[in-house]
Amino acid sequence: MRRIAPNSISRREFMRVSGVAAAGAVAVACGASGEPEPMEEAAPADSAADSSEAAPAAPSSQYSEAPMLAEMVAAGDLPPVDERLPVNPMVMPVSETNGNYGGTFRRGFKGVSDRWGPTKMQDRGLSWYDQNLNMQPRMAESWEINDDASEWTFHLREGMKWSDGTPFTTEAIRWWWEEDETNTTISPSIGGTWVSGPERTPMELEIVDDSTVTFKFPLPNPLYVYRLGRQTRNLYLPGHYLKQFHMDLTDDQDALQAQVEEAGFNSWEEYYTDRRWWYLNPDLPSIGPWISKNELSNELFLMERNPYFFGVDSDGKQLPYIDDVSHRLFETNDVFDLRIINGEIDFQARHVNIGNFTLYKENEESGDYKVFLGSASGHSAIQLNQSTKNERLNEFFNIRDVRIALSVAVDRVAINELVWDGLMTPRQYSPLESSAQAYPKQANAWIQYDPDLANQLLDDAGYAEKDSDGFRLWNDGSGETLSFVIEGTAQPGTTDEDTVQEVIKYFAAVGVKAAYKGFERSLYEEHHGANEIEAAWWGGDRTVVPLVNPTIWTCEQPDRPWAAGWAHWRNSGGTNPAGVEPPAGHWVWTIWEIWDAIKIEPDAEKQTQMFHQILDIWAEELPMIGYLGERPAPIIVKNGVRNYLAGFPLDDTTGDEHLLHTETYFWEDPDTQST
Amino acid sequence: MLQYIVQRILLMIPTLVAISVLSFLIIQLPPGDFLTSYVAQLRQEGDEVDEAELESLRQRYGLGQPVHVQYFKWIYGVLAKGDWGQSFEWQKPVKELIWERLGLTMALSMGALLVGWFIAIPVGVYSATHQYSWLDYVMTTFSFIGLGTPGFLLALIILFLVQSWLGMNVGGLFSDEYMLAPWSWGKVVDMLKHIWVPLLIVAVNGTAGNIRITRANLLDELNKPYVETARAKGVKEGALVWKYPVRVALNPFFSTVGWSLASLVSGTTLVAMVLSLPTTGPMLLRSLTSQDMYLAGSFLFLLSALTIVGTLLSDILLAIVDPRIRLE
Repeated sequence: MRRIAPNSISRREFMRVSGVAAAGAVAVACGASGEPEPMEEAAPADSAADSSEAAPAAPSSQYSEAPMLAEMVAAGDLPPVDERLPVNPMVMPVSETNGNYGGTFRRGFKGVSDRWGPTKMQDRGLSWYDQNLNMQPRMAESWEINDDASEWTFHLREGMKWSDGTPFTTEAIRWWWEEDETNTTISPSIGGTWVSGPERTPMELEIVDDSTVTFKFPLPNPLYVYRLGRQTRNLYLPGHYLKQFHMDLTDDQDALQAQVEEAGFNSWEEYYTDRRWWYLNPDLPSIGPWISKNELSNELFLMERNPYFFGVDSDGKQLPYIDDVSHRLFETNDVFDLRIINGEIDFQARHVNIGNFTLYKENEESGDYKVFLGSASGHSAIQLNQSTKNERLNEFFNIRDVRIALSVAVDRVAINELVWDGLMTPRQYSPLESSAQAYPKQANAWIQYDPDLANQLLDDAGYAEKDSDGFRLWNDGSGETLSFVIEGTAQPGTTDEDTVQEVIKYFAAVGVKAAYKGFERSLYEEHHGANEIEAAWWGGDRTVVPLVNPTIWTCEQPDRPWAAGWAHWRNSGGTNPAGVEPPAGHWVWTIWEIWDAIKIEPDAEKQTQMFHQILDIWAEELPMIGYLGERPAPIIVKNGVRNYLAGFPLDDTTGDEHLLHTETYFWEDPDTQST
Repeated sequence: MLQYIVQRILLMIPTLVAISVLSFLIIQLPPGDFLTSYVAQLRQEGDEVDEAELESLRQRYGLGQPVHVQYFKWIYGVLAKGDWGQSFEWQKPVKELIWERLGLTMALSMGALLVGWFIAIPVGVYSATHQYSWLDYVMTTFSFIGLGTPGFLLALIILFLVQSWLGMNVGGLFSDEYMLAPWSWGKVVDMLKHIWVPLLIVAVNGTAGNIRITRANLLDELNKPYVETARAKGVKEGALVWKYPVRVALNPFFSTVGWSLASLVSGTTLVAMVLSLPTTGPMLLRSLTSQDMYLAGSFLFLLSALTIVGTLLSDILLAIVDPRIRLE
């Protein structure tokens, strides 16, 4: 058994400094005064490794709590803070300084399906990222893995409690696995995180004792811990509460049936599933720093501090600092933008659009906020479907020189200036500079603007003949003009759509005819599902921790169809009728081979090394063509909000703007804030 | 009269059945289903949904079943239990969702309708009786501008002006503190503070159109012999105009009041979206784009039912107001 200390995963000089420098340059250009804060983490990096040896909670003076909770304790409605915290609470690192209690965060959301803003504020898993994007213990105190990384043992924090005060033990994990995830009525199939191999063999769960649990996989699973960072309905469930909605476990089945019918559900598992969502059921015990006070289907969704939250700051103050979080519904983004410039949004990146950067900056003063810039994971990129059913097009796209030509035919710098005010960086679709897997060789492959080379390559590829308009003809002698359709969901008037239109003009300049068609999203999904797409325009994201979510690189991601048919074939094990088997000896087989090896490679350095081998293929073959990336992502931060720093990547994998422990964000002076 | 009404009501039943079938079919027409758009959304957020999970979700929502099975399940629930089904997207019973928003929508639309006619009738009458006077030109200009400006544009402009001049955000119908509170005097006052903006915007279009209609109809009537006769007999001009030709000129009001029942629910959609109002319009639009079947189906059904009921009401009203109309 090896003990995982935080440093064991290779540390890399984190690129935030450069990120802040870039953001600063933009900010200065716009007349703002933002100075980067030092990037030291307040807690020592090895705190987690030491923490198990730390002294258990002693006299009541050791921890303190928010005034609103202290009142409840004084009134006898709540046990004292020492009893609510685990024996060894998580000491949260803070980005700037330890804070003070109070205040509300006001944010916006678009309806129940837009549950991610509130969810990412409050969901908690066993582990989480530090500022260097390495995984650190969070709900778990520590963990160990065996030599081939197929067995993961986690140690929970002893004495941790659900938001209703019930002890949180490994029973929560057992209950989730045995009564929910593997219960075929509730969950007909087991989620991808908990199975191995193409046969989807489920893991085995071994409950060692109340605070120790081992996950055993039939195959090595070295990246498992990365999947445990954000969990809201998986991994653990409050069985003591949910039991009453579970037909197999409830004490009174008739009463449950009556309840199900009264609530208007067809079956108990639907009702159970409804009750299991924290944002639909305020009564559901939770673990995160805030708990819901009402349902997300309201116009105003309220969250209030969880009195049993397991984290403290280094002064022993129980977190979170912020009392309440409220999300207000909006239908169109104009309304949301208006709220921003009116100063009614306290902290949010979601739905804040870089296209309106100038508007936000202009109103910084009157709205009393700052626009922070982080780096978004998305890119402007085109995917040529190399498995398209159109045979002539298939041949065209599968010529490497053609893809290179379509990369160098485009003047990235000019589009960047024209459409994006120069805010982006010309690059291929590639891990961000702040990622541990960053690979400049691939990021910068074939990004020069060289129309002569493009013409030369296309001519040599056998597409030299042109029609009277100067567009190239198919090479089959039919005399028909070569053309293809680029599909996407970018709507007219957006910067995204402007970019693709500009790219099409550059294609035309080298004689390649293409047209863009914007689709409603589900129609687009239908097309790609049937491998009907010729080419697609879709920003590639997941570039921060690509190892967690590599499917775009490995041709396993269906909705970025650089080879939709191959992806369907691979994902279904050849059974999907829309799937197409790649030609023998094609480089995509090598990518799959390498990825299958990464999946069972326990050593982090080697994982990155091998991932770079995949990127080498990408640099060589350009499976998809990226034009611009490192897009700055605006985050609205009201003046007086502390502990969130500019310059961090914003990606789903790392929780967007919630990366730096939301429970440690605070109001410098909560009394002056409206509630 | 009574026989006429009964006949009409009986005819409504097959119409409603046909409409319910049609609306359900129409929702099913676009490719994909709620899950396609739901999964699309999940993927956009980086959630992983693999094929097996997708299939299990499809089973749960009963989307794998043939359309007619889904339809009968739904209509049975509606008729037998008053259960309109569950909204997939909002994960709430449809009934609750619609009722929650219907009250406010009705208040807003009715208010706008009444305000619209309240202004339009006197202005239209003045315009017609003082045709080609300078005030007539002024009003005509205004009503054409009102007709030509889409409500949502007006809403955007007003939002911007109020924001930049008064620093006030006029979106929504309530302040934060009242949004979730139960109805109280304070909440009503708070609503009145907010509702005048959308009311005005929604009313403008209707008012402008109504002014033109009233004016044109009245102009037609004013030259008719019965007006001349009345005038010749010495009836005072004011009483004459208001008592006879105006009454006839108002026929369009009564014949359209029926359709406006349906537009009460959906008519203000664009304005409501721009102003972020908690009314039914935006919800209807979203349920259609996300193929949230039962919610969309219930809305379409409700709208159709309202149109039919409205038409009946119109006919009855017209029959009462205008004695020239025969019932056979």
